Amino acid sequence: MQAFVLLKLSPDTVDELTVAADGKSLETEALRFKLGDSDEHALEQALLLKEKYGGTVTAVALEALEVDDVLFTALAKGADRAVKLSGEFTGSQSHAAAGAMGSFLQSGDAALPADALILLRSQAIDDLDGEIGPFLADLLGVPYVGGVTGVAVAGEGLLVTKEFAGGLRGEFTLPLPAVLGIQSAEKPPRYVPIAKVRAAMKSGRMETAEIPLPATPASFTVERMYKPQAAGRAEMLEGAPEIVADRLVAVLAKNNLI
Amino acid sequence: MNADPVNVFVLGIPGLALLWVLTLVVFTVFGRRVYRIIGLLRQARPENRFDRIGERVRRFARHGLLQPRLFNERSIGLPHFLIFWGFVLYAVCFGWSLMRGLLPFLRIPYPDDVSGVVWFLEIFAVLVLIGLGVAAARRAFFAPPHLHRSWDANLILALIAVLMLSTLLGQGFRAAAETVGSVAGVSNLGSTGYQPVPSGDSPDGMARPSFTKSSAGVVLSASSIPVGGSPTGAGESPALPLLRTGSNTSSAGPIGGWLGALTAKSGTFTGSATALAKVMWWTHMVVVLFFLVYLPYSKHLHLLAAPFSVLFANLRPVGDLSLAGANDDASAGASKWNEFTWKQLLNGFSCAECGRCDRACPAQTSGFPLSPQQIVQKLKQHLLAAGWAKSAPLGPLGNGSSGLVGGAIAETEIWACTTCLACMERCAVLNEQIPLIIRMRRHLVNEGRVNRTLQDMLDNLTRYGNSFGKSDRLRAKWTQSLGWKIKDARKEPVEYLWFLGDYASYDPRLEATTRLTANIFQQAGLNFGILYEDERNSGNDVRRVGEEGLFEMLREKNLQMLAKAQFQTVITTDPHTYNTLKNEYHFERNGHAVLHYSEVLNSLISQDKLPLKRQLAERVTYHDPCYLGRYNEIYDPPRRVLRALGVELVEMPRNRNRSYCCGAGGGRIWMEDSPGIKERPSESRIREAVALDGVSALVVTCPKDIGMFRDALKTTGNEGKIVVKDLAELVWEAMQPLEPTAKEN
Repeated sequence: MQAFVLLKLSPDTVDELTVAADGKSLETEALRFKLGDSDEHALEQALLLKEKYGGTVTAVALEALEVDDVLFTALAKGADRAVKLSGEFTGSQSHAAAGAMGSFLQSGDAALPADALILLRSQAIDDLDGEIGPFLADLLGVPYVGGVTGVAVAGEGLLVTKEFAGGLRGEFTLPLPAVLGIQSAEKPPRYVPIAKVRAAMKSGRMETAEIPLPATPASFTVERMYKPQAAGRAEMLEGAPEIVADRLVAVLAKNNLI
Repeated sequence: MNADPVNVFVLGIPGLALLWVLTLVVFTVFGRRVYRIIGLLRQARPENRFDRIGERVRRFARHGLLQPRLFNERSIGLPHFLIFWGFVLYAVCFGWSLMRGLLPFLRIPYPDDVSGVVWFLEIFAVLVLIGLGVAAARRAFFAPPHLHRSWDANLILALIAVLMLSTLLGQGFRAAAETVGSVAGVSNLGSTGYQPVPSGDSPDGMARPSFTKSSAGVVLSASSIPVGGSPTGAGESPALPLLRTGSNTSSAGPIGGWLGALTAKSGTFTGSATALAKVMWWTHMVVVLFFLVYLPYSKHLHLLAAPFSVLFANLRPVGDLSLAGANDDASAGASKWNEFTWKQLLNGFSCAECGRCDRACPAQTSGFPLSPQQIVQKLKQHLLAAGWAKSAPLGPLGNGSSGLVGGAIAETEIWACTTCLACMERCAVLNEQIPLIIRMRRHLVNEGRVNRTLQDMLDNLTRYGNSFGKSDRLRAKWTQSLGWKIKDARKEPVEYLWFLGDYASYDPRLEATTRLTANIFQQAGLNFGILYEDERNSGNDVRRVGEEGLFEMLREKNLQMLAKAQFQTVITTDPHTYNTLKNEYHFERNGHAVLHYSEVLNSLISQDKLPLKRQLAERVTYHDPCYLGRYNEIYDPPRRVLRALGVELVEMPRNRNRSYCCGAGGGRIWMEDSPGIKERPSESRIREAVALDGVSALVVTCPKDIGMFRDALKTTGNEGKIVVKDLAELVWEAMQPLEPTAKEN
């Protein structure tokens, strides 16, 4: 099995995000990017599969600030290859991202390997619907399952566990190649010491692939981007517990909630 | 008949032959074992402990010969001292005696024929016996916790006792024999003690200091040893005057003489006294020889290894975790025996299982699974088990448990250490438990075996340079409400560069104190600046949780920034940062000093630069932070500052180098406490402070202490009884004029 982990960095919210002057995008000047949790889990799931069933893991990431660190970390964790898709992807939408990843996987004449398993995030803070996975699967013409919490090899294909709301789980069998959106790996993402990351950096094993930004038509346009505005409707209930309780009941009743 | 104790037949075997055989066998077994142990140590990782020989010898003289650390525990300090020096004396005399016994042609006396030596032997025998009595009683009736009470130890005590008793009794019998001899009218041959009588007619032609060889000798066998007042003894009495080397009553010491007189007076044994003296000599020699065989298989190898442990002890700053002369990648750590350095393995053989480290260990006392003594012992057991199977390629060893040191040490033990240094401060043989633990942590980190909270911290530190997971751009946010601008040391030259550390910069509970400190520095006219958002965590805790690569990265980044700044001296408010900057950044090579703010405040006061406006009438106690006190021996500056403020300082029972860790160090502040612990170290410390009479404040000089102790105040229900204050808070109070109770901000 050849596992491909597709990584896309998201804005780091440790610093306050600001809306750019155009009012339609994030101010990228001071913006930093990091790998989201779901991306980390996708990589971990790929590594776990390799440890269990053998095969290879290729980490593929769209170029962004600090993406090199992410790829070196993937190598240090045990990925066999790390490929940076070079191009101006910052702020690109899901269709474009899926297109870039798709053209890497099917670059030139090379068709998608028959035993390819593509893992990627199920969602991210800037992609709550997890669109890239389905878009990519559609592009490649292979099945997709998102919200995945468990992957096992079953015969020639896979047995995949997906989590639904309300504690329900579904099991799916699907053939390879396939695209999986990983919600959480079977184990928390591993820690890799900096010494190993640095060794990976020195090894210089990172590859770069020039991918022209696919001319996929934007499916939507952003009209306006703004921060949540304080509406001032909050009301602080103060006083003795009995009084607060009475007021609370009154408020709920007034809004037809009880 | 000859009184040379070797001149006997035992079960028909000549004594000399027997002694040779015994000696050869014993020294072969002993030598082989020691050789193999040294062979194992030589397979371990290198570490240069052969530098600064003069200093090493001085250290050896102090800790090897005077053993001040043993006297930390009164009941056993003096007994051990006496037993040790008794051992030295007896070991020398044993060698001497053996040499003389094996090589009868040597024209030297036996040690117990030299009156001065005899006095020493006898007096020490009694002192050692008293020491043994105390030691045995301590083991039996008032053993301190964590003293490893093994049959091994009891056997050793018993064997030493036999050595002493055989000497005393031997002396007694000899004296008795002499007394009887004298009574029988045989005059002393000399008064100067030893007087060899060359015997020209020696059958083998060798001149030797003995009387003519008896054709029969004394036959020593179970059946022939006269016991009690057997009449057979009387029959041998003519032989009695024929003492070893010129009978000289003065060769008996005070105790031997007294025992001899007693024996002679009682009439018991008198007949067989010479024979019995020989029995005692043989008993003594055989027990020592047995000791030699037994010793390298028992914990008593301590006796041979400890002097080397002391001689090769660490001479570098104890707060520097780098290894001298190590050629391996430190970040990989160690789990298998041959991944440790030879000195770290030697620790196990030096350890006498006395338990001083365990008794001092806050983790152990709190009920965490860590025992520093067991760490050292388990490594030794692993070394002996796995290393012994050696010679074979190392492959099979790796197939054992994937756990630390062959599965003997649990990860929870390794993570429980606060690196407070109490164990190493107490260890009488200068063992180094903490570097051992850190080396195993490095192994765990290298394998990715870190718990979730620690992993988050390390990720934060890697990404943002602080453990709070806050943006590095917010590091100097606390300065915004200061009302004035602190110099930016990256842009303009300053005299003092203030390196704050994460807690002083980011912890919301400490912001006010940090601003106070800045105001104090400003009002004292200190020319200082900070690195603003370019400061990174110094890496003290990072290094101590075993993330060596991350430590190196943080150090590189900080040093790059510091290289751009112009400053003379680094000051810091955090002892952990202080330790790493001082000992692990090697500023001194560039002529920069590193000072803790308590040192700075102290010198400002002594130079009269701190505008103190009033005396504080408080009664306070002071907590020595581990990394300030034990690690860097800064005990007096904070105390001098307190005195200058006018406060009355009351010491806690555990103060200065005996200070009790708050539990935050070594990265513990980033880890969860294990369930079921008895009492957190910080809680124990708070109770100690609260128990002091009339003390209103616990003064600290470490930002981590503030959080730890304020939490402990709440969890122990002692809120309101005492407050936890930073030294800077008191200084600031004293800088305020009497009238208004000005507060910062």
